[in-house]
Amino acid sequence: MSAVIKIENLTKIYKLSKRREVTGLLNFNLEVEEGEIFGLLGPNGSGKTTLLKIMLGLISPTKGKVEILGKRMDNVEVKKDIGFLPENPYYYEYLTGSELLDFYGDIFDLPENVKRRRSQELLSTVGLAKVKHMVLRNYSKGMLERIGLACALLNNPKLLILDEPTTGLDPIGGRETRDLLLGLKKEGKTILLSSHFLSEVERICDRIGILDQGRLLAVGRLKELLKERKVETFEDLFIKIVKNNV
Amino acid sequence: MYKPAVIAKNSFKELLRKKGLQVLLVFGLILIGSSRLFSFLTPGEEMKMIKDVGLSTIEFFGALIVIFGAIGALSSEVEKKTLYTLLAKPLKRRDFVLGKFLGLSLATLLNFLLMAIFFIGLLLFKEHTVSSGIFKALILILFELFLIAAIALAVSTFASPAFTMIFSLFLYLVGHLIGYGHSLMEQTESALLKAAGTLFYRIIPNFENFNIRDKVAVDIFVRWNYLVKTIGYSLIYIAVALLIGIYFFQKREI
Repeated sequence: MSAVIKIENLTKIYKLSKRREVTGLLNFNLEVEEGEIFGLLGPNGSGKTTLLKIMLGLISPTKGKVEILGKRMDNVEVKKDIGFLPENPYYYEYLTGSELLDFYGDIFDLPENVKRRRSQELLSTVGLAKVKHMVLRNYSKGMLERIGLACALLNNPKLLILDEPTTGLDPIGGRETRDLLLGLKKEGKTILLSSHFLSEVERICDRIGILDQGRLLAVGRLKELLKERKVETFEDLFIKIVKNNV
Repeated sequence: MYKPAVIAKNSFKELLRKKGLQVLLVFGLILIGSSRLFSFLTPGEEMKMIKDVGLSTIEFFGALIVIFGAIGALSSEVEKKTLYTLLAKPLKRRDFVLGKFLGLSLATLLNFLLMAIFFIGLLLFKEHTVSSGIFKALILILFELFLIAAIALAVSTFASPAFTMIFSLFLYLVGHLIGYGHSLMEQTESALLKAAGTLFYRIIPNFENFNIRDKVAVDIFVRWNYLVKTIGYSLIYIAVALLIGIYFFQKREI
């Protein structure tokens, strides 16, 4: 298996003024293997969003490098193989669900027939086929989360980056999303999941990474980490690691 | 599909839905329609007044629509975080800026056409004929609006919406006065002031170049050659403004 995500010595310093700086990430190293679901955890402000933004080329690192699928992130072509679902996804509220997928399909340069077929399949998969002609302004939070997932899967990506994918979903929607992600893993896709829900991460992730104050404090399989840190539950493990870092 | 065209299509749709821009358009149309009322200022010169007020209104309200449109085109994408999702896809920032400019230009063209058709309709109703000078004046106004769009969009790539609005309105005003200011500076004895005046005159686009209203209102012939030169002048400034916008947007952290 090869590394789909390879991050080396990644540092991001935000300069607030001439004298004030905030560290977003510090000497961050991580490798995520092909076909695994990797869970990224951390308290608010730990650097998860900074990491995702650098990985997606939205901000540039102060130092270090990120390689995805063997290509550096400043190569925009690599994004053809990435699907991304942001936390609380915001979309063009005047478009319908179907128009939104059509728009992103054009951004991905998908041929017309592929775009139409994928859109129909995905709208059914996320349970929005009946409301595909409704403008997004009228979608509920859960429906926006679902259309966001459909957008993230539109290009049939090799790597999925999901930021809190089940936040707005009810228990049934949450279960369906988890099942969908496990199905995608079976298809060989790599998934990087950032989440606050420990139970969700515990259920579907092969490995986890715990992040705080821009540093990766622990990485590995959950069972191994529990044994290593001599704690019973995932919650205890998380609290112990984060509190030890304070 | 050409990526800037995809962005342009979506941006155009978004701009058409902006209520503030629709209100400006309606005000513009009302003012053009009531231009005849201003003829009391110059008795006996009703047609001159209609032409002057009509063209001025198309230019001024067109500029306001363009500036507010440019601010919304980029800042709303940042505020609503739609940009976050969009730039995570295989889209070059250069294509995004070009697409936004094309979308804004299309919306500008549509608003311009609505006002221009209404204005020409009014002239036909009054005079049963429209001189070629009117069309020339309208063409120059359109290119002036495209230039304002490019500048406002370029500024919005690195500045806040409030700054973009103030700067664009200020530049619009200064751009109309720069020729006058330059001739004043030429008369001063200070070499430094003269140099500063020349420098600003070279950098700031002279929007008065696009203004042939006074000539058209009294039927003075304007050569096509002048139009070609002025359009070329606007295209150079548009290209420079877009390059500046792309440069800053490439560096922007989202």
